[in-house]
Amino acid sequence: MIGQLIDGPLWYFSLAVFGVGMLYRLYSILRAGVKPDLATPRAGGGAGALRNLFSRFAPRRDVATRGRLTLIAGYLFHLGLFALLFFAQPHVDFLAERITGFGWPALPYWAFIISAELALVGLLLLWLHRLLHPVTRLLSSVDDHIGTGLVFLVMLSGCLALAQAFEPLRLLHLFLAELLLIYFPFSSLMHTFTFVFSRGYTGAMMGRKGVNA
Amino acid sequence: MSRARIPYKVITAIQGGVFILLCLIVLLPMLTPTTARAQTQTQTQTQTQTNESERAIPVPNPSADLWREVRQREGIVAGRSQVAGVDSGTLINPYGETWRNFRMQQLIPYSGYLLAGVLLLLTLFYFIRGKIKVNAGLGDKKLFRYSLYERTIHWFIASVFLFLALTGLILLYGRPLLIPLMGQEGFSLLASASKEGHNLFGPVFAVALLLIFIRFVRRNIYQKGDLTWLLKGGGIIGKGHVPSNFFNMGEKSMFWLLALVGVVIVGSGLVLVFPVFGQARITMELAHVSHAVTTVLMIAVILGHIYIGSVGMEGALDGMTTGYCDLNWAREHHAQWAERCEQEGEVVSESEVSSLRGEAAGGPAVPNGMQESGR
Repeated sequence: MIGQLIDGPLWYFSLAVFGVGMLYRLYSILRAGVKPDLATPRAGGGAGALRNLFSRFAPRRDVATRGRLTLIAGYLFHLGLFALLFFAQPHVDFLAERITGFGWPALPYWAFIISAELALVGLLLLWLHRLLHPVTRLLSSVDDHIGTGLVFLVMLSGCLALAQAFEPLRLLHLFLAELLLIYFPFSSLMHTFTFVFSRGYTGAMMGRKGVNA
Repeated sequence: MSRARIPYKVITAIQGGVFILLCLIVLLPMLTPTTARAQTQTQTQTQTQTNESERAIPVPNPSADLWREVRQREGIVAGRSQVAGVDSGTLINPYGETWRNFRMQQLIPYSGYLLAGVLLLLTLFYFIRGKIKVNAGLGDKKLFRYSLYERTIHWFIASVFLFLALTGLILLYGRPLLIPLMGQEGFSLLASASKEGHNLFGPVFAVALLLIFIRFVRRNIYQKGDLTWLLKGGGIIGKGHVPSNFFNMGEKSMFWLLALVGVVIVGSGLVLVFPVFGQARITMELAHVSHAVTTVLMIAVILGHIYIGSVGMEGALDGMTTGYCDLNWAREHHAQWAERCEQEGEVVSESEVSSLRGEAAGGPAVPNGMQESGR
């Protein structure tokens, strides 16, 4: 009964909340617009936006030195999670069956395991840094901890269900993933999509001012 | 006639005696010593065999010799096989039974007694000694003890170790302890989850151990005065505090135990989790035994570490949570280090610490190098 609920209605509901919520949030950002820039632009905003969008993937040298731990952990987590989410065989099969209708090449099992380990190591280190560093601890809200905790639980339950031999473990993983999907649009996890807007906006503004930001 | 001459009670008694005698005759083989019974049985069997052999066609049974060869009681004799793979030439590994018996009859009960004993001892110690207080009381002066990086990797290895310990203990004791509570189906699910989680986080522990070792090894090299600390039992024996450096003898010994035993734990764990590098079954059995013994030892030691770092000692946890420890605590437990810090003017007030940690009204103001200082 609970299994059918998790596998059926709750999955579609969470997917709908995620889709509609995310679109609404993105629409709200776009609808807010930007302040009119009355100054004569020194250069085009588009180039600045694009430059900023990609150049920020590599940190400034001083930041890279001081925040080496968060830099490495951040990349480990995000790349590991991306590989897990879209290239783990069980996820490819699930997405092909439920959403896309077609599959794509998946990672070999050993690469899947390494991705999971890197992602978990990265997330644990980032969470500890958030808790222990006085500045990030002050900046962090309950929302940040709920979001991190949910992502951690989803990843952990997925790892515990690796044997794919027990239906309750798969259902637990799916249930936590559904909770995450529902929570996602209303949380800071939206930075998955909004980072493009924030970087683009800053880059465009600086580009128009002729600043190499 | 005879009935008339012998009283009825006597007849009943004789009948009862006969019954008892019959019972004794029937039960006699069961009451006699085993050897006697065995001799009787052997004699009976021999007699039967002799009778059968007299009747049977004299063709030897080939399967007896075959199974005698298959069941290699004296050791493993590997034969040749078309099947490629490790141990494919060995039909029966007799050490498997030795390993299984060790696990079931020695490892599980004795390691359980050890862990339960340590928990009991710590509880008793707490009720007898109580929380070790800072004699001078917690003051408003602090010393910087652990950098952000050090605290992060400490809690990183702590969380990974606790997860591995929990899942490992479920796998070790689950059968006798958890099946009666949650049933076989529930336990099989939990055991599968524990096994997968344990295997996945095992290599992560290796990384965490390496990070810890590199960061803390320099401060854990034994120094002059460490032996004195040990002889006085870290202050438990005798009166007064025993001076020590940044880490005392107990902490240093725990570090080296973690490092050395940790290597065995990681090595044996990798042998178990990656059975694809040609290791034989007997290697896996030895790896399992060494993995279990060393991890149980490590869990017992870490229980003591957790105790002293939390409820056992006042002010001990602060350094690993905030990065700063109380000056009075440092004077009483790490006098040599505290003295050096005081001479070098590294004492800071509580308000300064609050300001550094961003707890003051002015918000965070972290001076360069202060947060990341390794010292």
